[in-house]
Amino acid sequence: MILLTIIARIADGLPLAASVQEDEQSGRDLQQYQSQAKQLCRKLNAQSPARCILEAGDMYFHCLIAEDVCYLSLCEASFPKKMAFAYLEDLHTEFHYLYGKKVSTVTRPYSFIEFDTYIQKKKKTYVDNRTRRNLGSINTELQDVQKIMVANIEEVLQRGEALSALDTKASNLSTLSKKYRSDAKYLNTRSMYAKVAAVAVCFITLIIYVRFWWL
Amino acid sequence: MWASGREDRAMSAPGFTNLNSSSSSSQDSTPNGGAAPLYQNGPAQTYPYMHTPSGYYGAPPQQQSYPTIPAHSTPAPNKAPIMNRSHSANYYQNNQQHPLPQHHVASSAYSAPPSSAPPSQPYTTLHYSAPPPSNAQFNQQSFQQQNPPYATPGSYCGQQSYHTPPAQHSQQQQQQPSLVPAPAGGPGAPLYPIVSYPSAPRSSHYGTLSSYQSASTLGVLPTQTGAPLHQYSTPRSASTQPGHSVAPSSQPTVNGSTAAQAIVPRHYDQSHQASLSYDSYSGASHSSGGADADRPPSGTPSASVHSSPGHHQGGDTSSSTTGSASPVLNSFDSLEGGSFPDSLPPSSDMTNQAQPYSSYSYPSMQPAYQQRPSSHTESSPSHNQYGQPGYQQYSQPFPSLSQLSAALGGLSGVPELEVEALRPVNLLQERNLLPPRPLEAPEPNLSPDLKKVNCSPQTFRCTLSSIPQTQALLNKARLPLGLLLHPFRDLQQLPVITSNTIVRCRSCRTYINPFITFLDQRRWKCNLCYRVNDVPDEFMYNPVTRSYGEPHKRPEVQNATVEFIASSDYMLRPPQPAVYLFVLDVSHNAVEAGYLKFFCESLLENLDKLPGDTRTRVGFLTFDNTIHFYNLQEGLSQPQMLVVSDIDDVFIPSHDSLMVNLKESKELVQDLLTSLPTMFSQNRETHSALGPALQAAFKLMSPTGGRVTVFQTQLPSLGAGMLQSREDPNQRSSTKGVQHLGPATDFYKKLALDCSGQQIGVDLFLLSSQYADLASLACISKYSAGSIFYYPSFHYIHNPAQLEKFQKDLERYLTRKIGFEAVMRIRCTKGLSIHTFHGNFFVRSTDLLSLANVNPDSAFAVQMSIEDSLADTSLACFQAALLYTSSKGKRRIRVHTLCLPVVNQLSDVYAGADVQAITCLLANMAIDRSISSSLSDARDALVNAVVDLVTAYKSSVSNLQQSGLVVPAALRLFPLYILALLKQKALRTGTSTRLDERVFAMCEFKTQPLQQLMRIVHPDLYRLDNMSEQGALHLNNTVVPQPPLLHLSAERLSRDGAFLMDCGDAFYLWIGKCCNEMFIRDVLGCPSYASVPPNMSHIPELETPLSERVRAFFDWLQDNRAFSSTIHVVKDDASAKATFFQNLVEDRSESASSYSEFLQHVQLQVSK
Repeated sequence: MILLTIIARIADGLPLAASVQEDEQSGRDLQQYQSQAKQLCRKLNAQSPARCILEAGDMYFHCLIAEDVCYLSLCEASFPKKMAFAYLEDLHTEFHYLYGKKVSTVTRPYSFIEFDTYIQKKKKTYVDNRTRRNLGSINTELQDVQKIMVANIEEVLQRGEALSALDTKASNLSTLSKKYRSDAKYLNTRSMYAKVAAVAVCFITLIIYVRFWWL
Repeated sequence: MWASGREDRAMSAPGFTNLNSSSSSSQDSTPNGGAAPLYQNGPAQTYPYMHTPSGYYGAPPQQQSYPTIPAHSTPAPNKAPIMNRSHSANYYQNNQQHPLPQHHVASSAYSAPPSSAPPSQPYTTLHYSAPPPSNAQFNQQSFQQQNPPYATPGSYCGQQSYHTPPAQHSQQQQQQPSLVPAPAGGPGAPLYPIVSYPSAPRSSHYGTLSSYQSASTLGVLPTQTGAPLHQYSTPRSASTQPGHSVAPSSQPTVNGSTAAQAIVPRHYDQSHQASLSYDSYSGASHSSGGADADRPPSGTPSASVHSSPGHHQGGDTSSSTTGSASPVLNSFDSLEGGSFPDSLPPSSDMTNQAQPYSSYSYPSMQPAYQQRPSSHTESSPSHNQYGQPGYQQYSQPFPSLSQLSAALGGLSGVPELEVEALRPVNLLQERNLLPPRPLEAPEPNLSPDLKKVNCSPQTFRCTLSSIPQTQALLNKARLPLGLLLHPFRDLQQLPVITSNTIVRCRSCRTYINPFITFLDQRRWKCNLCYRVNDVPDEFMYNPVTRSYGEPHKRPEVQNATVEFIASSDYMLRPPQPAVYLFVLDVSHNAVEAGYLKFFCESLLENLDKLPGDTRTRVGFLTFDNTIHFYNLQEGLSQPQMLVVSDIDDVFIPSHDSLMVNLKESKELVQDLLTSLPTMFSQNRETHSALGPALQAAFKLMSPTGGRVTVFQTQLPSLGAGMLQSREDPNQRSSTKGVQHLGPATDFYKKLALDCSGQQIGVDLFLLSSQYADLASLACISKYSAGSIFYYPSFHYIHNPAQLEKFQKDLERYLTRKIGFEAVMRIRCTKGLSIHTFHGNFFVRSTDLLSLANVNPDSAFAVQMSIEDSLADTSLACFQAALLYTSSKGKRRIRVHTLCLPVVNQLSDVYAGADVQAITCLLANMAIDRSISSSLSDARDALVNAVVDLVTAYKSSVSNLQQSGLVVPAALRLFPLYILALLKQKALRTGTSTRLDERVFAMCEFKTQPLQQLMRIVHPDLYRLDNMSEQGALHLNNTVVPQPPLLHLSAERLSRDGAFLMDCGDAFYLWIGKCCNEMFIRDVLGCPSYASVPPNMSHIPELETPLSERVRAFFDWLQDNRAFSSTIHVVKDDASAKATFFQNLVEDRSESASSYSEFLQHVQLQVSK
């Protein structure tokens, strides 16, 4: 079951088209997944792996990045990966053909919302068990799907936060060590002064002693 | 004097001025349009006419005003605006170069009349003016000279007032009352010193008017009309300075000029840093008076409009004669003080052209020109000119004047505007209250730049265009404070802004708007909560001018109505497609009524015009005692009908094939629509399971949201939501309370709230001949932001008029714009709070209106209270933001911002009262009251509103010891409108009214936009058989005559005439028994009265000039309303005339009192 499909521009995470599964069961809260998907689109960048799967509870986000556009679908965990990526590939081919050139110029979110119609049709063919069997042959070529990295969506969404936490910790550490160093220096000088003072006292005492006792 | 000095400087270099003027004209266009063209270049989606929008909202009026003046000089009607300017420029030059001659002319005009003693001096003064140093100039100089001799405080006041606005107010007010009594004593005595200034310009206008009248057949017009004008004009001039009638003329100009200059410099300085001294501005505005806003309503912003005023004036010049006609004494005369006879005669003598100049405050224009070049702000010029015209509007009580104003259209604005609005009117004595043209919204008393950008009154109106400072003051005024909105109105031009960041206040989330203040380049101050916000970098770039660092030139800050393309932050889900579901009653009753065939035809015709894109989805559902679904899945050879007979637990038989993509399944849809009417033609099932059908519709639509259109022809009798008949026909005309105005069950309300939550709007078409309990059914639309249509006694054969209306409504309904999943929020300046909303919507949180669907024909009203004193601010602002998804899947935010002055004087509150808005708001409140309490309570409350107003005005503002009913002129129509309200179907008692019709009328009151509502409450009555060319509008090469409005009383009808009543949703053309044969032949195409068919409902297209004129007038009336109105030709002897006469609200009806009786009743109450 494909619940949610989003097509977004990689450069700035601008959503270009989307389709939400609409039936009576959509009573389940898609809202949260939608906002996760939006965040995800923003996090992804050109360095992200071209294909990845992200776990989000009992759902999987399947993510395909091609030609500066990210294709994201939310499926139930039981939905075959092969099918999901075949579906995304399909969308990519069609979307790129229709709108590929315009992708970089649009500024409005969901500029290609009309692509929804196509998405829904495709979705139907992939979700329908009978047609799915027919697609099986095509999908054999997608063996490499097995190698796709699977990560937890929480990790992806929070990776940045973890890094920044590390960063703050490190900078805290460095400031602390700096402080330690200056403190140490200060202590050193203090002890040196003390030594000098002690020597001076001894010396003066000696002079006085010589002055009054020897003369 | 400061101002005068400036003028001199400006004047000193004539050549220079000329240049300026010419340049100014060019500039004119640029500022207005400046934004526009740029826009086009600009990035994303902007409507082609950016510049027009500005014009639309106010810029155009300025231009128009220009033309008017030139027109006088050279009465060439259809000049392009530029031409006009050039004229004016020439005029200007002439003045400077040959100051003397022109002045002479003017003077001569006056002199002729002077025969009467008092005027003589004025003329002389005019002559003076010529000699003076800078002489060239206009009246201003003359004015200056005059001042010393006259030493009239008023003139000084005027000037001073500019400098210190507040002072002006107070002065004016004070003077007014004090003066008033004096005039009463003797005609010559100055009634309104201040007013007098304007009088001069008016007088010229009058002249024009009078000509108009004269040209038109005098016989047609009531004699009174002519007289009043005279009085009006003359008294005014006289009043200013008794001795010197002429003086006023010069003075007005002075006012204008000074105001303009005063403004200009400031403006200049401030222009970069927005709002500075509002105070100073306001002062200026006072002096200058009304603004541009009125103009826009006229419709076509462009050249055509310009031409029209010019035309009028041309007519005017000749017309002055009427003015000369001796005053027919009205109550008015006595009030105003005598009119000066002398002034009148001159006008008649004058050659048309000459007079206009002399009398006219052309000077005002010129100053504008001069200044204009120096300061690039356009405001100043518009200011001056406007002021005077605005004046006219207010003068409306005098018929003649009214005509004038009509000619000038909506031009408005003058310092005296306020004074005029405050003029006490004794309703028991004055009978001619109606303006010649339908009333325009009053001008808020703002500085010209603010006025220029302010929101159109058609979109956003406040009952009080001057907001009282405290709740105590508001209570004292006894007027309701509220807003009337028409937020999704069809607009011809609208700036659309695409940007990544939509600039909003960080604390109150107000959208940036023209009334905020830029503290510097990087910071702006919110005008609602006064928080200082940063200007984002992106905002520094102006896409219109493609320049950087001019945040104040951004379109958001230049237009009070803008639309933003929302970013994805404003979306909870991807924008939904347009989804339409039609739920059709096919029971036996429906088949009998025969609507189905016409619905299918209409939908077939408009299938391609349904708003939407390639995602648009449609579905159909029919019901009688079962529910029928239609599978229209692409690929089927023909539609499949799926019948669900289990109406207790409705389920959806198939999930994805019932709502289908319109584009892909178009053939199937067409197939279905052609076969539907015959499919059920033999249906004998009489029950109606509306409730279950609606439940099914809800289930079908809930995944996407969208629009459900329900057609119902009888009382639902099966399943959930079943209703019983509650109407007792014997009680229809009872004068006691009316029962059952509320819903019988909350089923429909609950379902509507569910729908609203799923973004489903339900529109109801009720075509019922029997009682169908609309009070209950309407809830389904009320809470889901739908609209309601009701066709009582609909039958496709027996009631062709309803059928035609149904077809026309349906066409509009199917093709009009629609917004989905919308929310609207109204914000207002800190201190004001909104506490009640009227309209169809669901209030989701305290101030968030949830609108599942929003359509361009529904309006909203809100009531406000003043929680904190507004003493620390001079402006109050209101912002309505409507976030919606267009039918093309674009998420957009439409933002309207209205700015109004805050006043601390009761008289100012009255001066700014908007009688139409007040009436509409009271109507809404009365409907609420009648449902929550009782009808009689609501009626009493309405009468009390009038009584309270009269009492409050008597005790606080007017210190006239006059007996009778005295109200400020701005509210002179208030009792009339209230009486009309009481006679509406919704609120009347004693007359037989079906419950459904009453409830429907109530629904209409809640949702109709103000203009439409006012036409329903108080229809416009015109006489058509003797329309003249005078004062006609020239639009796109057609001449649209502008007959004057008539009072809604049978005494205004005559058997030899043909009268048109414009009731908003219908036109009634009443043909008198002895109507001119020519009219019947040329317009109706019938040889004689007897041969006019009884049920004629169209005007044949004949080639005669009269027919063309009448049709042009009809088209013009039709032009700016959404639903096309049907025309009923009513013969005097036809039975249909009852409806016509029912609308004559000033007359006594079987159960309701006449206007004069009503007034007496009010007076009785007041004196208690």
